[in-house]
Amino acid sequence: MSRSAQPIWSPEVLGRVRRLHLVARVLTNALLQGEHRSQRVGSAIEFADYQPYLPGMDLRHLDWKVMGRSDALVVKRFETETQIPTTIVLDLSKDLATGAHGGRSSWWRRSGALPGELPDLEQTKAGFAIQLAATLAYFFQLHGEPVGLEIVAGDSSGVTSLPPRSGRHALQRIFLALAAVKPDGQADLRAALTRVGERMRRRSLVMVISDGMEEPSGWVPSMQAFARRKADIRFVHLYEPSEWGLDFDRAVRLFSPEDGVELALDPAAARDVIRDIAREYVAEVRLGIAAYGGLYCLTPCFVGDEQRRQLALEYAARRVILGMSTGADVDPFDAMADGAAP
Amino acid sequence: MSLSLVAPLALGLLALVALPIIAHIARQKPKERVPFGAMLLLERVQKRLRRRRRIKDPLLLLLRLLMVALVALAISGLQWSYQGGTPQFGGTGRVIILIDQSMSMSLADGGRTLLEVAKSEADQVLEAIPDGTLVGAIVFGDEAELLSEGLVRDSSRIRSRIAALGPTLGKSNLRSGLLEARRMLEGEPGEIYLFSDEAGPTMVPEASEELRRIVSGGSAVIPKQIRANPPRNIAVADASFGTGVEGGTIDVRVSNYGPEPLEVPCEVTFPDGQSIPFFADLPPEGEIVERLTVPRAADGGVGKAHCEDVDLAADNERFFHLPRVGASSVLVVDGDPGDTPIRSEVYFLERALAPWGDRRGAVRPEVVGAAGLLSLNPERHQVVFLANVSDPRPYTPAITEFVRQGGALVVSMGTNVDPERYNTSMSHLLPASIRRVEDLAARGEMGVPLEVPGTDIELFEPFTRSGRSAFQEVRSRRLAMLQPYQDSAEVSTLLRYSGGAPALVQRTVGQGTVLLWTSSVDYDWSSLPTQAVFMPLVQRVVGYLGADSGGSAGTFDGVVGRSVAIPLPDLTVQPSVTGPDGNAVPTRLEGSTLVFTPNRPGAYSVSVEALPTIAWVAANLDASESDVRTYDDFARSEAEIKPDLFTRVVDLSPYLWAGALLLMFGIVLLGLPVLSSRSEEEAA
Repeated sequence: MSRSAQPIWSPEVLGRVRRLHLVARVLTNALLQGEHRSQRVGSAIEFADYQPYLPGMDLRHLDWKVMGRSDALVVKRFETETQIPTTIVLDLSKDLATGAHGGRSSWWRRSGALPGELPDLEQTKAGFAIQLAATLAYFFQLHGEPVGLEIVAGDSSGVTSLPPRSGRHALQRIFLALAAVKPDGQADLRAALTRVGERMRRRSLVMVISDGMEEPSGWVPSMQAFARRKADIRFVHLYEPSEWGLDFDRAVRLFSPEDGVELALDPAAARDVIRDIAREYVAEVRLGIAAYGGLYCLTPCFVGDEQRRQLALEYAARRVILGMSTGADVDPFDAMADGAAP
Repeated sequence: MSLSLVAPLALGLLALVALPIIAHIARQKPKERVPFGAMLLLERVQKRLRRRRRIKDPLLLLLRLLMVALVALAISGLQWSYQGGTPQFGGTGRVIILIDQSMSMSLADGGRTLLEVAKSEADQVLEAIPDGTLVGAIVFGDEAELLSEGLVRDSSRIRSRIAALGPTLGKSNLRSGLLEARRMLEGEPGEIYLFSDEAGPTMVPEASEELRRIVSGGSAVIPKQIRANPPRNIAVADASFGTGVEGGTIDVRVSNYGPEPLEVPCEVTFPDGQSIPFFADLPPEGEIVERLTVPRAADGGVGKAHCEDVDLAADNERFFHLPRVGASSVLVVDGDPGDTPIRSEVYFLERALAPWGDRRGAVRPEVVGAAGLLSLNPERHQVVFLANVSDPRPYTPAITEFVRQGGALVVSMGTNVDPERYNTSMSHLLPASIRRVEDLAARGEMGVPLEVPGTDIELFEPFTRSGRSAFQEVRSRRLAMLQPYQDSAEVSTLLRYSGGAPALVQRTVGQGTVLLWTSSVDYDWSSLPTQAVFMPLVQRVVGYLGADSGGSAGTFDGVVGRSVAIPLPDLTVQPSVTGPDGNAVPTRLEGSTLVFTPNRPGAYSVSVEALPTIAWVAANLDASESDVRTYDDFARSEAEIKPDLFTRVVDLSPYLWAGALLLMFGIVLLGLPVLSSRSEEEAA
């Protein structure tokens, strides 16, 4: 774990903290509404009380004896006995600074991804990742779980690793780090994940938020570091549908902000091919994560479409928290077609 | 073959080929540069597309370049010009059918003769001619013959006349055919369809000038070649007599005009019916000369050489003149036969003429009495010896006619000779009148010797110096003294006795010769029969008098279809000509020349009724017509005169447009967008 000197937060960063806090709180409230309150299953649990059964609850928790005596459907509620440290691994390589239609976002055109420019929270995949991380951190902190943050690549003004801690102060530090981080550099997921896995406590919960834009054969095996420590792995795979779908109306020269590789592209020619390749790529990552017992959550960002982006954000947070993996039948491009998140 | 442009300036549109290149380059460098966050996927896309792009990209560029080039060429009006095999001509409304009827058109190919094929094709052309077209037809062999009176609109009569055409033995006189065609066109342009095998080395060149006139007049000759595949023919090209061993030689030249070697049976038949068969082993497109030996004895006349050939039978035989060869018939009239052969007047003469018997010698003596003169035959006998004939008067007319026609008469004296009878009946034949018989020596004495003959006398040329000296050994005790005479162009003294008395005197009478030996040919008056020079002298006299040559008939060569002129001897009646089939041939007199035209090959005899043949004519076909190979292509000759007639022009624009459309279609199919990559470093 490393810690840099206490930074002097700028008003812009502090404003972003408040905004992140607001987003996280709103989303968490949405997650806690209705019947979808989170119940994590620990290794040792203790009965708390009864609650009337509502559709959607796990039938395993029905109390059959009460039902036999009173004809009432009630479920048993439990409380965890031990706290599970949670680490959020956030990939903020420079590629995530792109958004809808690659870099054709107003933010990118305005900033040109200049060094020192904070990413737009609504116009970039990095913003989506930051808000998702903030939401998850808020949620778990609210449930009394110690939460930590590992930022891979990205310029976070010195803060790159925050170990899991409980309490509002720890959450505040996470929010400050998320508000100040700038997408930058190359992720090198293999090295980063290996490093994080090696210093993680056993039986932790690790949530990796990344676009995974490195050869899966290179970084997926690094999940072994988590698996070896019996960690609960949840991989949030971010992607921008308009970007993967090459939603360009004319030939463009595309370049990678990370390494400068440039490709001249006629979108019409490559559109069908990239769809096949994207499906193969998703399947490859999903199977790789599953091979180490991880949970795979394919998450579209819908950058630039605020309504769909909000839905995607909430939906992703819910699936990660509930531990719902993306199935093999999910097509990333069908999600774009019907407007629903996978 | 060449390419040309109707609008060459439009070729500048070829510069448009730069457009696809520019587009190709420009397409690889889109202006807009956009950051992209899923480059891993694009790299995988690039790998997948790279293999397809390697083939498609250059192909697409090539197709675009080709399409632009084709469009530019199409607008430029690209045309393809090439030389056709026949003239590109038509639409004149005047058509003349010209059919070759020469002998070579009788060549058989596939069961039909070339003439039959030509007739069939000509009929098809006439049938296909549009209504209203003026049509004429001409056939030519040795000469051209009109099948229509000028140009007519109704071709039915022409077609029927063409259908009735038969083979001829003439030569291809294409020049006359073209001349008649030109006359028929009367200066207007027209199309002349020529149905010919174009065979022979002279046919096309001889007609080139007339062809030039036709083409210059705006007309065209459209050759319809009628040829056997391949042309084959075997012909007896020549046969001729030559001197040599035995009775001489016959050289037979046989030509093979086909592409394959052949061996064919041949035969030479002499006038007296004797024949010599042989096989001719012929190389492809070559000839052989077969030399045959003539028998020691053969009658003179016209002989025939023949070879078997099924392709063209007309030229399978060749006729040639054969002089009478071998033994010459000498009629020896014995005026004093005697009771035993040895006492006969001509005992020594007969043996001197045929020392080895009459079957092997060069001279065949026929010994007869005086009445035998009635069997005198100028065709069979060359020399007549009158030996001691007492009264020649009954036979004088026959002897006279015999001598006038070229026969030779040798008169020798003897005890039976009555000078008065000779002088009165044969004064027009004898070199000089006989004055009296005079004894020069008594019996038992040696007599008067002969002088050595002069070297300038033709009769004694074969004798050597010692041979001539031997004449001095000959002595005569008695001889006939002659009336004084002068040597002249007609009369010459060939041999004298010492003292100057004539021994042998010659006189030329008409075409014949008379020799007078003033002594006898037996032992009574002279020692000549017992001298060494006797037999050589007798043999030489026979040879000197032409007994080893043929009869007196003249020999002439003729060609079928062409006039033969024969200068006539001084006759009061017109001779007739009998053809090979035994029938009389039409003749006409042109001054003192008899003219006729042989219509078939063979021996033609010219004679006066009841008299021997005056002349023989060996008529043959023109040998050049047997050469059925093609030497000069008529179309080529015409193309040299006017190449424009044969120039075919094909407008390529429609094809270029079609090609451009196809290419455009291909471009649409292949013109899928292409992904290309370049790193920033490479771009820099």
